[in-house]
Amino acid sequence: MLALSRKINESIMLGNDIEISILEIKGDQVKIGITAPKSVPIFRKEIFLQIEEENKNAVAQEQSRETIEQLFKF
Amino acid sequence: MKVSTRYFGEVDLDESKVITFAGGLFGFEEYTRFALLFNSEAEERPAISWLQCIDEQSLALPVMIPTIVMPDYNPVVEDGVLEELGDWNEENISVLVTVTVPKDLKLMTTNMKAPIIINTDNMKGVQVVVENTDYQIRYKIYDILNSAKEGKEED
Repeated sequence: MLALSRKINESIMLGNDIEISILEIKGDQVKIGITAPKSVPIFRKEIFLQIEEENKNAVAQEQSRETIEQLFKF
Repeated sequence: MKVSTRYFGEVDLDESKVITFAGGLFGFEEYTRFALLFNSEAEERPAISWLQCIDEQSLALPVMIPTIVMPDYNPVVEDGVLEELGDWNEENISVLVTVTVPKDLKLMTTNMKAPIIINTDNMKGVQVVVENTDYQIRYKIYDILNSAKEGKEED
């Protein structure tokens, strides 16, 4: 992993169209600004990991198809 | 083409039914070809179907139409996120959410935060994270499904 030191209001470019800026530093919290094309999804890693895990949970289910279909018979 | 599926045995699938997820699904980025399967013997198309990976038999997720449990479901994404789907509109787009069914059925949930969006014209799909902050990754649906059943019985 590449580690770079940056001061407040300095930034880093990823490629030529993604900019990561340090906006504010308060104690152990850093406020980061991200400028990127709209097609680049940006989310907190916790959310990303939870969604990965939930997809895996959906795959891992052990009920039979019939049991699940029964739940959706209205 | 013959496809080995997790819930439907071996299925003879028409190539036109293959949905391409260029970026895969979260946690399964390496698999890009899927198909939507459902019980064709049911009287009408069931509310639940199965997103089956063409290249890995064990990879299949139950998926449902979100409005069954949340009639006003209205996912919001940044414009560019759906670029991969090409030309889409309200007519050719299909929105599904994954269903997680634990041993205790009462704890079953659906993932409102990361719907699967499919362009049914060009059969391209993508799983996105929506901006809506109130949509849960584990949205409980057992009671909602049951009350939908009861509502129907009273009709």
